[in-house]
Amino acid sequence: MKWLFFAIKNVLRNGRRSLLTVLLTAVGSAAILIGGGFALFTYEALREASVRDTGHLIVAHHDFFTNDEELPMQHGLGGHAEVAARLAAIPRVRAVLPRLQLSGLITNGDKSAVFVGTGIDAGGEFAVRGALFTVTEGSTLSTEPSVGGMPEIMLGKDLARQLRVRPGGSLTLLATTTEGALNAQDVVVKGVFSAGTPEIDKRAVLMHLGTAQKLILTDKVSTLAVYLRETADTEPMRGVVATELPSYARQTWRDQATFYVGVRGLYDRIFGLLGAVLVAMVLFAVSNTLGMAVVERTREIGTLRALGAFPADVVRNFVLEGAVVGAAGAGFGMALALGVSLGVDFVGVSMPPPPGRSVGYPLHVEVSPPLYVMTAIVVVGASVIAAWLVSRRAAAKSIVEALIHV
Amino acid sequence: MSAAAQSAAAPVVEIVGVTKSYQLGRTRVAALRGVTLSVRAGEFVGLTGPSGSGKSTLLHICGLIDRPDAGSYRLDGRDTDGLSARELSLLRRERIGFVFQSFNLMPALSVYENVEVPLLLGGVGPSGRAPRIHEALERVGIGSLARRRPDELSGGQRQRVALARALVKLPTVIVADEPTANLDGETATQVIDLMRGLGRTLGTTVVVATHDVRLTSHCDRVVALTDGVTR
Repeated sequence: MKWLFFAIKNVLRNGRRSLLTVLLTAVGSAAILIGGGFALFTYEALREASVRDTGHLIVAHHDFFTNDEELPMQHGLGGHAEVAARLAAIPRVRAVLPRLQLSGLITNGDKSAVFVGTGIDAGGEFAVRGALFTVTEGSTLSTEPSVGGMPEIMLGKDLARQLRVRPGGSLTLLATTTEGALNAQDVVVKGVFSAGTPEIDKRAVLMHLGTAQKLILTDKVSTLAVYLRETADTEPMRGVVATELPSYARQTWRDQATFYVGVRGLYDRIFGLLGAVLVAMVLFAVSNTLGMAVVERTREIGTLRALGAFPADVVRNFVLEGAVVGAAGAGFGMALALGVSLGVDFVGVSMPPPPGRSVGYPLHVEVSPPLYVMTAIVVVGASVIAAWLVSRRAAAKSIVEALIHV
Repeated sequence: MSAAAQSAAAPVVEIVGVTKSYQLGRTRVAALRGVTLSVRAGEFVGLTGPSGSGKSTLLHICGLIDRPDAGSYRLDGRDTDGLSARELSLLRRERIGFVFQSFNLMPALSVYENVEVPLLLGGVGPSGRAPRIHEALERVGIGSLARRRPDELSGGQRQRVALARALVKLPTVIVADEPTANLDGETATQVIDLMRGLGRTLGTTVVVATHDVRLTSHCDRVVALTDGVTR
């Protein structure tokens, strides 16, 4: 403890030089934390968006994910209500939502376009979809399908623009039935939405599950989307579902989140490289400062050795000084990163739309205690290594040579 | 002869036929050529001689910070030949105090902390350190300066701190290299009187390398070196 106190005094002795090193270390630490915090926020946002779209687990017919269908719903899930009930009975499950995927043509009488539709349980679906599902006109589908009236649909904003239709307008859906025939269904537009991705907004149609089943003449669904209370439970629950329903195929949200996996792989490399460069910067800054201190204090090292200090004692003293500089730098860096993170939230900085998307998003830098602890450990560790590298040769120098050093 | 008198007469420093040479560029320079020196417990011995005569080299060997090429050195009856670097460090911790010409104090530390360093190295606990440090500082007359830093002290005061640092662990031998060279006349006399008095009071053996005749006049014995040989 006393040696640590002496190390602090020695660091303070060269105040300006130590301050410069601490500032460099702080800037490096803050850059790691801000970059890492932004990456974490991006991962979390993309993960939650993926989960909202697909559910944590997707349960389907055992051939659904592996074999292409020759006819619509060939690999559909029959008796889905019973399967959904068994899944919903598992304690960690929040909701089980049936989905039917179909495609066909949508027309206003004058103009037709290809649509990619999803039949949904409107009541549950809009409860689990969050801020990323934006209704731009009209409203969401009614919780229960209307009896007697025309079936409702919602469509992507670019598709609505293409068909020159607004809420209240009517359209006709054309699709191939499970028997290979064509079927048509008149529908009324209840609302227009934006998923934030032009490719989706140009093709997407949402309708009640019953409407979709009636259109393609089936009582099956494509998949059951299982929503859990905690995303962290996904992998354990995959095992549970496999045990409960061994004859069904299942995937996790990650299996379907190709964009998330791609972005994460890219960011891990970018921010990993950035972090390595910043740690190297810290290493060089502390090496430089302590290297100068070691040369200037060669006689002091000789004196300590003459008084009976082992070379390891001398190295320990410099390592403690490195740790003090690293800890101070990491501390200031954490404060700086925290300030920037809170400041960004307070000011409300908006990011431009990422590639492939049509809307920007509010910038947020995640304050992650594990990331802060890890960064502090790495920065202090780098400082300690730097101190060890520069002091071990001086500590092993001949005492007489060290004492006559000028 | 009584046991006490025999002990008092026993040599603490016993150097026999020591040689030491250094490589200077392509030339090998002999610093010591078969020096023999015996210093009894409590004795105050001066090493004198012109620059390059080998007195600093002999002092370094006495202080176990350099090894002879040949010959033997017994410190307090223990043969130091063949001791590892670690064992020599431990011997220096326990038995040897150093006083340097340029004081060699740690500038970032206070007077108290400078004197504390040898005790910390020796593993003395906090409760054992404080009284010994205060006693050492009082002995050299700077008890009131404990919280000052070296750069706030005069040359004489700094050398007193160095002396307190050497004395605090109650060493068997103090080796002092030109301890008065950087001091003015009056301060040098005070430091000499102090060293002499402390040597007598504590029974510590003192070996001093010096050019200073004021200092040599206080020595029990003066050993003159010329070209690495005692005369």
